[in-house]
Amino acid sequence: MAAQDAAPDLAVVTTGLTKEFGDRRVVDDLDLAIPSGSVCGFVGPNGAGKTTTIRMLLGLIRPTRGSGRILQGDLDHPASYLARVGALIESPAFYPSLSGRDNLRALVRLGQLAPSAIPEVLERVGLADRAGDRFSRYSLGMKQRLGIAAALLPDPSLLVLDEPTNGLDPAGIVEMRSLIRSLADEGMTIFVSSHLLSEIEHICDHVVMIRSGRSVFQGSVAELYGMRSSELVIRPEEPAQLEGLAVLLSRRGLTAQIDASSGTVVVSDAVALAGSLNRAAFEAGIVIVHLAERERSLEEAYFALTGTHSGDVEAVGALGGIQ
Amino acid sequence: MMIVAAFRSEWVKLRRPNLLVGTYAGLALAASLFAVLLFAQAPATGRGGLPSLAQLAQPDGLIHGVNRAAVLLGVVAFGIAATQIASEYSLGTLRQLLVRQPRRVILLAGKFGAVLAFMLGAVVFASLVATVAAFVMAHARHVPTAAWTSSEGLADLTRALGDLLLATVGFTVFGLVVGLLFRSSVTAIIVGFAYLLPFEAVVTRIVPNTATWLPGQLLQSVAIGGQQTAGFAHSLILSAVYLVVAGAVATVVFVHKDVTA
Repeated sequence: MAAQDAAPDLAVVTTGLTKEFGDRRVVDDLDLAIPSGSVCGFVGPNGAGKTTTIRMLLGLIRPTRGSGRILQGDLDHPASYLARVGALIESPAFYPSLSGRDNLRALVRLGQLAPSAIPEVLERVGLADRAGDRFSRYSLGMKQRLGIAAALLPDPSLLVLDEPTNGLDPAGIVEMRSLIRSLADEGMTIFVSSHLLSEIEHICDHVVMIRSGRSVFQGSVAELYGMRSSELVIRPEEPAQLEGLAVLLSRRGLTAQIDASSGTVVVSDAVALAGSLNRAAFEAGIVIVHLAERERSLEEAYFALTGTHSGDVEAVGALGGIQ
Repeated sequence: MMIVAAFRSEWVKLRRPNLLVGTYAGLALAASLFAVLLFAQAPATGRGGLPSLAQLAQPDGLIHGVNRAAVLLGVVAFGIAATQIASEYSLGTLRQLLVRQPRRVILLAGKFGAVLAFMLGAVVFASLVATVAAFVMAHARHVPTAAWTSSEGLADLTRALGDLLLATVGFTVFGLVVGLLFRSSVTAIIVGFAYLLPFEAVVTRIVPNTATWLPGQLLQSVAIGGQQTAGFAHSLILSAVYLVVAGAVATVVFVHKDVTA
């Protein structure tokens, strides 16, 4: 579908959106179709191209190629739609020596918005009592909330939030989810990025996953759940036989991974073969004491789609954050 | 209307007490100090580079102090303008501003107008305070001031203030351009100050003829109503050409450059 023919029920449509910085292609032929009124998660590892995509949607970065329509406005003319868009891009950026209220006042004046929006959004994000404090004195959570308040100033039809839970403590993350959900209940389209699916899966009804700048999944959360595959967890009687069991399974063309901590071998897409595998193991002198089907979690499905070998994720994995 | 909105938005930042009081009071103090020292050190008869008490009693006596403060005012105008634009990049606030006002030329024009108004206000305020200081010092040193308030004296003062304001416009544009191109307050100020102060001074000392075309020298000449090396009209026209070209280049860069900060 060409972006120019965007259906009115789509808040954001892009076709072949591409951004290159020199020889490096950061966003690669990305087609987005975000339904109006949805909470759309934009998920991918760090460095996958999420922020660059968001900046292109907001007119901060020019696409190298591709087209798009946002709220029926042309991506090439951000002024045609940005008045109806609110955005929090990466970390909240404000003037440290101005109060939270004055920071918002600068934006209200620039956007020719109603000054009455300032107390309303401050109340909404729970910052009314601290509105007169300097931004530099705010905690990280308060800064993030002020960022949301700034994004809400124009009473937007589309709210773009780039990693809104970054740096928040668990309580702050819960608060942020609740705020996003309540905004969505009012009919606002919300496009929220995160490198952790688990942080946003409960609030999204639509998901776009990208890896290395390319879309690897796009659809409803229900469709994503439907994509989860099962795996077989096998535990031999003797832990020393783990290696032998893995080799046996590999020879049958199966993908087997040893989990030494639980003394099991995990085999993908082999539930139907459970009986024959048990028999083959017995014939090879390996006694199986546990053989069970396990459904992969959404997070595992996410990693299967996006991989764990890109940029920062690899480093996090090395620290044990991601298996 | 959108330019007025951008102007008013920028004004929210410029009116913060630290910057407003610091700049206005700082410049006023510095300009007053020049006036006080000028009168305190003035000899009875002319000698050295200082005007005598008799010269200070002339209709143009009041503007000697103003002229000597010109470089300082220019450097401050440059520094504030460069910081105001470059800090939008270093703080990351530019992305917020561009979401609310995606027409970049309008945003830049409003910002420029506000910074310019701020600096012109600071220069006028500093000049007024320095004038009061000059009257006080004149009284202390028994310098008659009747000529200052004559029509000729007021015309001289108005012209001198006008020249100073023109130079302030130039230094402010220069600061905005350097801030836009370097996108870092620290780098912009270091590069700008190093260029305006030691670099041009050294070059003009070695090759005096360069004072007729180096931009900092031209703006200083405009500020004091022209000098021997470069007349006022020449300085004003060539400065305007430089600033229009530099402003156009900076605007094109600002409009077309991706905002990744």
